[in-house]
Amino acid sequence: MAVKHFEAEVRREPSGAVLDLRGEINGFAQEALDAAYAEAEKENPGAILLNFEEVDYINSTGIALIVGLLARARAAKRDLSAYGLSEHYVEIFNITRLSDFVNVFPDERSAMGDRRQQENLKPEA
Amino acid sequence: MTDQPPIPKEERRPRDAGHWARYVETLEGSGGLNVEGRRPMSPLQGFGSMWQKTFRIHLTGTDATPAEVVEVWRKRFPEMTGFGSGFRVPAGGLVPGAVALLGGISGVMVLYADDESFTYMTPEGHPFSGWITFSAYEDEDGETVAQAQLLIRANDPLYEFMMLLGLNAAENITWQRTLRRVAAHFGAEGRVETRVTCVDPKRQWRRYTNIRHNALILSALHAVTAPLRRIRRRATGTSKTPRT
Repeated sequence: MAVKHFEAEVRREPSGAVLDLRGEINGFAQEALDAAYAEAEKENPGAILLNFEEVDYINSTGIALIVGLLARARAAKRDLSAYGLSEHYVEIFNITRLSDFVNVFPDERSAMGDRRQQENLKPEA
Repeated sequence: MTDQPPIPKEERRPRDAGHWARYVETLEGSGGLNVEGRRPMSPLQGFGSMWQKTFRIHLTGTDATPAEVVEVWRKRFPEMTGFGSGFRVPAGGLVPGAVALLGGISGVMVLYADDESFTYMTPEGHPFSGWITFSAYEDEDGETVAQAQLLIRANDPLYEFMMLLGLNAAENITWQRTLRRVAAHFGAEGRVETRVTCVDPKRQWRRYTNIRHNALILSALHAVTAPLRRIRRRATGTSKTPRT
């Protein structure tokens, strides 16, 4: 079976930066994922959304990479959410307890909607 | 040619589906002290700083493929790590979801296993919360590389203190030695490359209560209260509960 390589692109949206992930998240994805995350962090967004719609394989090393991103986001007090996970990967997020720490949404619209709601709830400075 | 309707994403069986353990709230059936009934822990649920440790060795001069290396590593894990008979592999082997007992005081659950890697997840009370992945891959020169990668944090304040006192270094030595043994098994010699990164230096102080599951403390208490349990069993005429 042909190995699908990993790609990640950054999109800027009013509610935060979106990381569009494509392909397989395994040990070989580390460099591209780290670089894309660093790019997403550049404008200091309040939230980063991980889009898993085009991800079709994650192994345990790949999950560890996502935990690494989560640790970076928490250290910067930045919200990290995920959407577009298939049922199988929602289950993997449950098994690994990642779902206790990452908000998981079915699609981009609901993830953005939640983000806007959170922004509106923030007390004015 | 007729057009086939696309298969909805949810109905396709992902390639990694059989490699992951099933979701469990707590570990059941191993009968192990400090394992039975304990929840598996992710690296996010521990107390101390989060570390990523990567140990790798190039198996120069061998023809072994990554799959062959991982197969041997998994089968001979107790011997290659030096844990020996202290690492009790369940009857079905180290398959996803299996629970192995470690030194009579804790254990690990196999979180993931495929042809070229396998991952353990630790339970509450283990010195570390997190995952350790053993894998092998071919580098750009076609040489097989064996690797152990940990993503861990000390589970509670006592273990974090022990990390500062030498547990951290002792752990590094364990995995460096393991990799040298893996290489030696395949007739290769080499230097173990070690990379240790502090992924999150913060301690999660609200997790200090994890200490209630500390396997060292509970095992010590279990040992000192053994005579009392023996007296009670004699008095009530009951026998020791067999471990399954």
